[in-house]
Amino acid sequence: MMQERIENGALIFDLDEPLADRPVKDIYLPNAYCSILKRVVSNIFSLREDGGLDLVIATVGKCKCDGMRNIASWLERTTDIPILKVENDNAKGAGFPISRSGLPLLKKMELIVNSVFAPLPDGLTLEECAPKCGFWGVPPYDFGILELFPDETHIFGWTRCMENKTPADIEMECEVASGVPTVFFTQSFCQKSAFAYNLAREHGGLYVEVDKAMSHSTRAKIEAFLEFNLGWRGKR
Amino acid sequence: MSAPSPILLDCGTGYAKIFNLEDSTRAIVPSRRFIKSVSEYRIAASTGHNIASGSGERVNELVALAEGALAMVEEPDFTVLDCGARDVKYVQIRNRRVAGMDWNTECGAFAGQVVELLTRYFDIEPENLPSDAPRIPVVCGVLGMTSMFDMISQGKSHEEALAGFLRGVAFNCETLVGRPDRLYLSGGLCDNKAFVSAFTRETIPLGRFVLIEGLRKIYSENNI
Repeated sequence: MMQERIENGALIFDLDEPLADRPVKDIYLPNAYCSILKRVVSNIFSLREDGGLDLVIATVGKCKCDGMRNIASWLERTTDIPILKVENDNAKGAGFPISRSGLPLLKKMELIVNSVFAPLPDGLTLEECAPKCGFWGVPPYDFGILELFPDETHIFGWTRCMENKTPADIEMECEVASGVPTVFFTQSFCQKSAFAYNLAREHGGLYVEVDKAMSHSTRAKIEAFLEFNLGWRGKR
Repeated sequence: MSAPSPILLDCGTGYAKIFNLEDSTRAIVPSRRFIKSVSEYRIAASTGHNIASGSGERVNELVALAEGALAMVEEPDFTVLDCGARDVKYVQIRNRRVAGMDWNTECGAFAGQVVELLTRYFDIEPENLPSDAPRIPVVCGVLGMTSMFDMISQGKSHEEALAGFLRGVAFNCETLVGRPDRLYLSGGLCDNKAFVSAFTRETIPLGRFVLIEGLRKIYSENNI
């Protein structure tokens, strides 16, 4: 369906991502709420104000947290914004070579997020590396956190499921590499925080919760975890 | 005019802890005052929330805490909790090596500066707080303070409400560190007897210079 719209000249925006010249308006949702969904809702309203919104494709199934399901219902009931609710229960894995590659973690995350709309760049070679470290979780609001990690960091959790095109695969979401120091990341006020918190305890990893931009303390906590476990003192 | 003496610096949110490498004297000054006069110092190595550029070799706060505690505590296995003005962090030691760590990073209202603000606001000496006040749940510092003022509006004394708040903060600290039988305490709240006695397990204050001791160890070993 998306392909057909693109061929007819429509532009597709990833509402999770920042849109140029459209700062997030923090007025539509409770203050203590997921920053990514605040951005999604703000993007919806600012696109509509500009008259450039034909349809919101809202992912509402097990493949996402419950937040968008509730938000989609609210928008349907109280606004004239056209909402198409979709669920992605695909169980056929497409593989996750980016998650296991030796590319910088930030680059890996960008490739996975961009793969929603675009194929991987031509000529991209992905060589699997042994993991020194793990990053478990969803793509963060602030990608700056990813720059703290060594390149040999494997991606786990929902982001790996996203690359594998099986975002509802909760068994895959639970997988981590045994014995590899892993940071379990969650957005503040996200339902997945219970998941991250307890997986971190189960595997002796580090639970990290960030609302918007990472604080100094969060940065220092991750740096200490990497220094204690890997002797890694960052990219200098 | 002679050059200033080199120092080791733990510049936290509330206070800067200073160790003079030439005469081994120590000092504690408010961070806001230290930052204004930072150019008067020659900083050999530093740690802490408020360190800035030109602060010598930087050492991560948790690394400094671990090294300092290992220098001060002889037991093979122990847990040390640093209660700072802004946040709390801990290191768990097993067989003299770091086996676990964590840092409460998000809620500044959780920590020392609120305790200091409240004792000043109420003009209460921590020594005068009751030891049997019921614990107030401190989901976060702001919600905890809301509960505390609700207690006061319902007729409880300010002393009892503040003591309950402190017990709530101490309970959260114990949850963070996993409730060991014995807990070593670092940071400014070591001087607050009411806070130390709010813990439900043996709690041994190590004082405010644990991170500085860690810096001294790292500085001497690496000659940085």
